[in-house]
Amino acid sequence: MAYPYVHEREVRVISRNFGDPAARTLEGYRARGGYRGLARALEIGPAGVIDEVKASGLRGRGGAGFPTGLKWSFMPKAAVKPHYLLCNADESEPGTFKDRELIRWDPHQLIEGCLIAAYAMGSRHAYIYLRGEFFEASQVLARAVEEAYAEGCAGEDILGSGAHIDVTVHVGAGAYICGEETGLMNSLEGRRGEPRVKPPFPAAVGVYSMPTTINNVETLAAVPHIVEHGGEWYRRWGTDKSPGTKLFCVSGHVEKPGNYELPLGFPMMDLIEDVCGGMAGGRALKSVIPGGSSVPLMDAEDCRECTLCYEGVEAAGSMLGCASVIVMDDRTDIVREVRRMVQFYAHESCGQCTPCREGTAWMTQVLRRIEAGGGTEADLDTLLDMSAQMTGTTICVLSDSAAAPVVSSIEKFRDEYLALIHGGARAEVA
Amino acid sequence: MSAPSRAPFRNPGWAGNVGEFDLSEADVRGTGYVGERPLDGGHPSVAPSYPYMLPGKDPGAVLFEGPYLERFEKIRSRYPTARGALIPTLNLAQELRGHISPETMDEVAELLGLATAEVRGTVTFYTMYNKRPVGRFLIQVCTNISCSLCQGTEVLDAFLEHTRTELGETSADGEFTVIEVECLAACGFPVAVQINSHYYENVVPDEVPALLRRLREHGR
Repeated sequence: MAYPYVHEREVRVISRNFGDPAARTLEGYRARGGYRGLARALEIGPAGVIDEVKASGLRGRGGAGFPTGLKWSFMPKAAVKPHYLLCNADESEPGTFKDRELIRWDPHQLIEGCLIAAYAMGSRHAYIYLRGEFFEASQVLARAVEEAYAEGCAGEDILGSGAHIDVTVHVGAGAYICGEETGLMNSLEGRRGEPRVKPPFPAAVGVYSMPTTINNVETLAAVPHIVEHGGEWYRRWGTDKSPGTKLFCVSGHVEKPGNYELPLGFPMMDLIEDVCGGMAGGRALKSVIPGGSSVPLMDAEDCRECTLCYEGVEAAGSMLGCASVIVMDDRTDIVREVRRMVQFYAHESCGQCTPCREGTAWMTQVLRRIEAGGGTEADLDTLLDMSAQMTGTTICVLSDSAAAPVVSSIEKFRDEYLALIHGGARAEVA
Repeated sequence: MSAPSRAPFRNPGWAGNVGEFDLSEADVRGTGYVGERPLDGGHPSVAPSYPYMLPGKDPGAVLFEGPYLERFEKIRSRYPTARGALIPTLNLAQELRGHISPETMDEVAELLGLATAEVRGTVTFYTMYNKRPVGRFLIQVCTNISCSLCQGTEVLDAFLEHTRTELGETSADGEFTVIEVECLAACGFPVAVQINSHYYENVVPDEVPALLRRLREHGR
């Protein structure tokens, strides 16, 4: 066994080099077809690249799912001011662990994606912003960037085309909120990572007040393949509204947690039962969080017919987010886990907006009280009332994210709250 | 409370824990590929990316001299404003000194021509700047959702027990500081623990003593 997560139903496009240490070097990457996408980009020109990405229907993999080609087309065409491309490698959404794998196993794939994106948007400088904790991945990426410069893939006169694009590997210092695109821009300017009010949008006024586009690691990793093979090729997988393949980060109570690259639209129960080898220890499924801790919880019934694409998960009452599938078995104490998630948001709130700063801290206290057996039914109304006031009332969506697990868990698992409130004992279902 | 889910696939995050893989720890971490990185920062494109949680700490180190001064100048060249270089400069200061004291903030402000308040505002926002000295090994245990489902709290307790420390404090011998952290983005390999600049994955409570022994004996 070379690598943990390989399954016959996977379609390994961006994860094809996972578990293959020889693919890390520029030579190894080239031998596996690397940098052909960049060569084609330089042939078809910036407009041609944007057309291919638009045709592919690629949607941003950082969680919001915004069409990538459209986002790129918002950048000013004339390069009056410097343009910046920022790669968001501040992966910190609980349940998400794909970007570190993409960087440490296939650093050149990300560099190639950054170069193509920067070229398409007339940017002469791409910053790759890694969360500080990714020291090991950042060393692999740094080595690869040095190789790319040495071999003429980055810097001046890329592949002899005359194009000049610099790449800088930037390492952050620990803050979830820097994964929010405007928080990331402030952080890259050396400021506190507090999100900015939009508008103005980054494509008009971004980092250093210049036109900026921010893309997730996984989005940029798909770009070389799309440009090399064409946008239509990418549509061989996925659904009409969610084309292509996606890394699914499965964690929690399954036999084989890990990253699996699957076509979008894959049935959720097939992911759990087949690809991941079923529930750990053959337990029963209680709940799934399909897109990282910021999206609503689903119960076992919601999961049954759910397909894993943007529209499929939405129809099941949640969101695909970054496809971070957190699986919980029947012994899970929902109130404890929800409190743990809300506690995280309280810790990570930047403190700018009152509903978030106060709401996340208060919610944690109320949930702790319920957990300790001192809650009342009125506390549930208080939590729902606070959630309503924390949704859509702040600069960024951290506050909304904190409310999502609270509202959905009270809706789906109210009996567990009530058991603690009335019985004072933990819900030990099994 | 959920019972531990012990996955059959174990990621070789550390040498004592390679499970059924034929990949070595070096293969996974990429250490052979990276090799030794030069102290002067190498190519300017990558000068801002060095580990800054190291076992060796010198609180009196000069900001900056020799190859570190070269690295600082390369860092400065990659950002259009002096303030843009602030975070990588603070990282470099912590790499050398082990923590960011108020005096260090003043020195960094002076170096970059920034107001002290700007530097303090930034330092206090970010969790990875140690505001006071930490032990030779800073042990950061994730207890967020995916690790919480798989014994995150128990692993944290095991570290506290076997290092004989309180949360956030440093052991009497100066070796270990244990803290609880938020998601480390290694959720498929719970419990995720970051010790200085390295990740240790699939850590279970029983393995904590062996991991601590390894740290004492091998430095990582």
